[in-house]
Amino acid sequence: MLALAAASLAAQVSSTPIEGLRDASPRVHAITGARIVTSPGAVIEKGTLVIRDGIVAAVGAEADVKIPADARIWSADGKTIYAGLIEPLADVSLPGALKTEALTAGGGRGGGGRGGVLAAAVPAETIAPAAVARSWNPRVTPERDVAKVLAVDERGATALRELGFTSAAVTPGRGIFRGESALVNLSGRAPNAALVRAHLAQHVAFELSNFRENAYPDSLMGCIALIRQTLLDAQWLQSARDAWQKNPGTQRPEENASLSALADYVAARKPVVIEAQDELDVLRAQKIADEFKLKLVLRTRGTDYRVANAIAAAKAPVIVPLNFPAAPEVETPDKAADVSLATLQHWELAPSNAARLTAKGVPVAFTTAGLATPATQFWTNVRLAVKRGLAPDAALAAVTTAPAKMLGVDDLVGAIAPGKLGNVIIATGDLFATDSTAEITDVWIDGDHFETPAAEKVDVRGTWKMAWRGATAPDELKIETRSGPSGGGAAGAGAGGGGRPSARLGDKVLTMVQSRDQLTLLAPAEVFLGKDAKGTVRLAGTVKGNSAEGSGLLPDGTEFRWSAERTSTPEKPAGPAAREEKSLANADNWPAGAYGRKGIPAQPEWLLVKNATIWTSGSAGRIVGGDLLVHAGKTEQVGKNLSAPAGATVIDAAGKHVSAGLIDCHSHTAISRGVNEATSAVTVEVRVGDVVDATDVGIYRELAGGLTVANLLHGSANPMGGQNQVIKLRWGAMPEELKFAGAKPGVKFALGENVKQSNRTITPGVAARYPQTRMGVEQIMADTFARARDYERDWSDWSSGKSPLPPRRDLRLEAALEILHGDRIVHIHSYRQDEVLTFIRLAQREKLTVGTFQHILEGYKVADEIAKLGAGGSCFTDWWAYKNEVVDAIPYDGAMMRAAGVVVSFNSDDNELARRLNSEAAKAVKYGGVPEDEALKFVTLNPAKQLRIDDRVGSLEPGKDADFVIWSASPLSTYARAEQTWIDGRCYFSLADDAAMRAAATSEREALAQKALTERMRALAAGGGAAAGGGRGGAGSAAPAEPPSVIRALQAMEEIRAHEFQSIYHDGADTINCSTHALQ
Amino acid sequence: MRSSKLLLALVLAAVVARASDSIPAVRPAGPVLLRGATVHTVSGADLAATDVLLRDGKVSAIGQKLAAPKGTTVVDVAGKHLYPGLISAFSGMGLSETASVRGSVDLSETGGLNPNARAQPAINPDSEHIPVSRANGILTALTVPQTTGLIAGVSTLIRMDGWTYEDLTIRPAVALHLRWPNLTINRDPSFPRPVADQQRAIDDNLKKIRDAFATARAYLKAKEGAGKPIDTDLRWEAMIPALRGEMPVFVYANEAREIESAIEWAKTEKLKITILGGLEAWKVADLLKQNDVPVIVGPVLTLPLHREDPFDATYANPGKLFAAGVRFCIANDGDNAELGNQADRNLPYQAGKAAAYGLPPSEALKAITLYPAQLLGVANELGSIEVGKRATLIVTDGDPIEMPTHVERAYIDGASIDLSNHHTRLYEKYQKKYEQLKANKT
Repeated sequence: MLALAAASLAAQVSSTPIEGLRDASPRVHAITGARIVTSPGAVIEKGTLVIRDGIVAAVGAEADVKIPADARIWSADGKTIYAGLIEPLADVSLPGALKTEALTAGGGRGGGGRGGVLAAAVPAETIAPAAVARSWNPRVTPERDVAKVLAVDERGATALRELGFTSAAVTPGRGIFRGESALVNLSGRAPNAALVRAHLAQHVAFELSNFRENAYPDSLMGCIALIRQTLLDAQWLQSARDAWQKNPGTQRPEENASLSALADYVAARKPVVIEAQDELDVLRAQKIADEFKLKLVLRTRGTDYRVANAIAAAKAPVIVPLNFPAAPEVETPDKAADVSLATLQHWELAPSNAARLTAKGVPVAFTTAGLATPATQFWTNVRLAVKRGLAPDAALAAVTTAPAKMLGVDDLVGAIAPGKLGNVIIATGDLFATDSTAEITDVWIDGDHFETPAAEKVDVRGTWKMAWRGATAPDELKIETRSGPSGGGAAGAGAGGGGRPSARLGDKVLTMVQSRDQLTLLAPAEVFLGKDAKGTVRLAGTVKGNSAEGSGLLPDGTEFRWSAERTSTPEKPAGPAAREEKSLANADNWPAGAYGRKGIPAQPEWLLVKNATIWTSGSAGRIVGGDLLVHAGKTEQVGKNLSAPAGATVIDAAGKHVSAGLIDCHSHTAISRGVNEATSAVTVEVRVGDVVDATDVGIYRELAGGLTVANLLHGSANPMGGQNQVIKLRWGAMPEELKFAGAKPGVKFALGENVKQSNRTITPGVAARYPQTRMGVEQIMADTFARARDYERDWSDWSSGKSPLPPRRDLRLEAALEILHGDRIVHIHSYRQDEVLTFIRLAQREKLTVGTFQHILEGYKVADEIAKLGAGGSCFTDWWAYKNEVVDAIPYDGAMMRAAGVVVSFNSDDNELARRLNSEAAKAVKYGGVPEDEALKFVTLNPAKQLRIDDRVGSLEPGKDADFVIWSASPLSTYARAEQTWIDGRCYFSLADDAAMRAAATSEREALAQKALTERMRALAAGGGAAAGGGRGGAGSAAPAEPPSVIRALQAMEEIRAHEFQSIYHDGADTINCSTHALQ
Repeated sequence: MRSSKLLLALVLAAVVARASDSIPAVRPAGPVLLRGATVHTVSGADLAATDVLLRDGKVSAIGQKLAAPKGTTVVDVAGKHLYPGLISAFSGMGLSETASVRGSVDLSETGGLNPNARAQPAINPDSEHIPVSRANGILTALTVPQTTGLIAGVSTLIRMDGWTYEDLTIRPAVALHLRWPNLTINRDPSFPRPVADQQRAIDDNLKKIRDAFATARAYLKAKEGAGKPIDTDLRWEAMIPALRGEMPVFVYANEAREIESAIEWAKTEKLKITILGGLEAWKVADLLKQNDVPVIVGPVLTLPLHREDPFDATYANPGKLFAAGVRFCIANDGDNAELGNQADRNLPYQAGKAAAYGLPPSEALKAITLYPAQLLGVANELGSIEVGKRATLIVTDGDPIEMPTHVERAYIDGASIDLSNHHTRLYEKYQKKYEQLKANKT
């Protein structure tokens, strides 16, 4: 805790008036005799460092550096000097409201602690500066400048300094555009002295509104849309204001501090740090940076190794955490059942994250953010990272040069060189060796000298030979460390050893108290005076190296003296047993966890499926005893008695059925963090394509049901929702690779109860969102299209020179225009015939292209009109009693629409139903008598037509993609099982592969669990077993001591966050459908 | 604002109050002879070209070329198939009409301990779900009360035709229903609720169940031993049949650990239980077999509970139970009855999926006929086509488990029931629209 400022108080040239006598102490220091690591890989074995006025004046070998005459000399013989560490994401000196929301109620971000938790209760509005010309959105606060709100934070600075940090980028923690960070020296001085440089970087995170706030954005796709629009606005504002200046008398563009604050960032003059919650966010951040040519720095949660190739390809530097997970609790079968393979893998692989990134040339910086107890975890985990393959130099770089470079402050800090800040640390040895016990004793910041507690630490352990004068007692005093719960505190433990020291004189245990070099011992009188003596003998003394001396008092008050020489020091205890170097976890599988695979499956050049009943869904109809020939991923031929070139892969499918891959025209699988942007009534700017989740196990499960293509739709919470994304279910590919290239862009609209929020509770006093009736639904659509046409005119006025002011790009209206131009087709969620007809009339007026009416439960009532419009009908087969507007839903709907000439598909809107669309199609046979082959087209060719991809998929015909399924029986049979599912001529699912994957996952899981068990046993033996509480039936280990009032204060918030909690490798039991969030 | 809300309420009320237009069947004046169908008795062999005589609501004879007594209505069903009526063993039939319209939903009483909530008096015989489901061969259903707490109430077995709930009732009180608490602790460090808190909530819930049964036993003891009347407590009163072993206890539990915990509890309470839901029963099949605890699996058509579970975990569940010798039947998602009722007509396809993933097809059929009859204690009356059992059966054009199959006729207690419903009527109505359009064109 002690931080001793030995040198002058005037660190910088200062405007502060001097009161009393001025301090003109010399500010020239020469540190001599040390090993100096000036930067990673550059070492001076015995050197001299001169710091003048807080700046490095000279550094070099002893022989080369002349010690200035005015320098105070500090001997650092045998020690090692490094550049001071830089924390790239600190919340030291930040007001509480700007600290990052902690991830857990019990701990969370380093430094933030409880303060961070409570900050979460602060609504975004209160932290956005009020009454400033700024962004309309309270989460867009790029103008927030940390340098303007810094507070003195002696404690926070000290905590970091004692770990070796000399400066930190103080980073605002809340919002989407969070604001600009500032470099602060950790001297604990007033901000005007400590602040080194403001406006380092803009910090961005994918933060969503709380579901009770109902504020845009409440979905990840909305958040990305907002980021995109904000960056465009920032580009525009500059040019608009310039144009206005040049054209007086024209309409004045708004003043907007938020957008102005982004000028440096959209011009890539300064870095934008984007925070990723998982590896998918990493890819999303990269896409945004690419689109806007930003200077990107990634801040991740440490699962980067899963997408290391993508990170390496993008070349952006990465700030990674050191909060490696503790061994998962696997000691009981019950607990083990809750630990996923992905969790075990991450436990195993997290410490190697930095090594895996640097191996691919990615610049990496470490942050202490996320460490529950940085004091004990930081160095332990840095060294663990080294043990797991990170080069020691790279580890040093990760805390010095790398963060300095990322944040553009490498001209000032990060290395020791003349002209840079005199921010250095002195350690007792090599800090970065895996088994290092070296400690930092001195920290220099701006020419100020600080000693750390380690500098004052005196290790008294060992065997001492006692000499008594005036008393008699055994002459051997043993002081050793008892094993026990590791105190771990910096001050308590002796160097290199955890636990509490205990002393024995002869065979009696003494009570021992140590304060720096002062030793107090209390001995039972019998040690001195024989068996029957009563009372306590008091000893006190001072330790100096290997000798000690002091005095004592016998119970009767008789004084005596003693001295001692240390005859031996304890052997260095074995540290925590090293983890094995060889990784048991499968780091190359994607996605992580069970069923991941190494890349996409191989594509045979030629493939022949023989002797099957082939349901072509094409003009060839159904071919009994047919063959399917595939070449390079495309269907070559379908027919009888086909032959394949030598070397072809041949599958004998005698007795089996083969159909085209199934297509789901309405899916919400594989969408991250929000199917609905449920806030505004019109959100056509949001894109499902921004948030495709290639790790959703739903993809794999649906493949297992023969599904190959899915239309990922925005939900139905608003009349004009978001842009859809058609994907192929290429399980094992990256999100971008899932996308169906060339699929016609579309958008989701919706009508009826959901969009008019019929099933929401009406809150008195809160204005309801427009529209609340079907009357308003039509009007808001008409209004949006009218605005879009006006927007188009604004642009043409500008490009033709009629208007001198560049219009603002509005992504919402641009999407609406695409719809008007027929470049984006509409998929509209619809139920009742009146609203359907109303929309048909609107579509006819506006000349919209309607891909599908979705659900379209009363489509049978106006099927003739739908057919006239040329729209498809994509319906539920037999859902009917879940709300008021579906009471007239009938299962004959599909057959009746088909009879009227509508292209009909059956969709799932449900992760489970999507696994069995084949038999669902048979309901068209049952209800309305659709012929079997035509019924199958409801889930093959017809949805392909509706999505405008029928030139590629939907039937087994020459030239189309080889997407097909091998079934154990007729695909329309309830008893049928998909045995193999192929996409692009690659086998993405087979029952045989599935069995192998299950076995592989089990053995990997068990191997990792065994390894975790050894660590768990150590933790349990040490009494520190509770990574979390007890198990079922047990009392559970004690809850962390926390004031009950705090718990109560947090409860409401926890409830909200429990509601919102979604871990990336979720349990797969989600039953998301288009009403998720829309029904609240 | 106020008036528009009122208007909304009236509109909703109008919908809720709408009765099914189907008219309950007339009891036949004399016997009915179904002549010449393939009879799938379920309990025995399939009988080709066989006659079945229905008399006084019962099956009175099965055989080839049966003589028709005087006054018999003879129905030629040659080439058709006869099956026992399907039994939906886990439904909310009559307790929920339209999920999002609160006024139409009576599934779950407030409060966590409702042993005295009875499904029977709340069953709406005019529910449209009844004709819609029976059109697909569902002729018997167990209507189960739900709870957001621990003890839901008492279920009722109904036949799917009648003027009043009393007409519908086969057994007014089938089982006492418990909902086992969720025992899963989320140990993800970023999960906001501390592990200790989660554990405390679990312990509290388990204690509440133990306490309820202990209190009910004390009540029974006091009542029997006090020698004078004691104050009545409807809740403990309602539990007496279960405590005396006269009424089974059905426990809704899905996760393996919940099933284990429920079995352990039942052993200490010396109660015979049946597991409802049982999505992970396959994980504890041995334990179920060893303790002879049957499972009403519902549903099959649902997602596995855990990401790492096999994709077919729920589909293969019944097959694995069968292989392990566990008594079971297949049901719908009765726990989700607001939404589940609309899918009650799809009960046979739950069984079909199980058959696709390991359950022998003949067992799949039993799993929705004879087995539910056994597990609900009515196997002497329902579940198979046997002389002396209720004449509750369906005539189809094929395997009812295959989707394209149609139920062409259905009999409940010997009476031929109306298979039309709101859906078929709308189908017919709107066909007229297109006929008119065509006519106008020509």
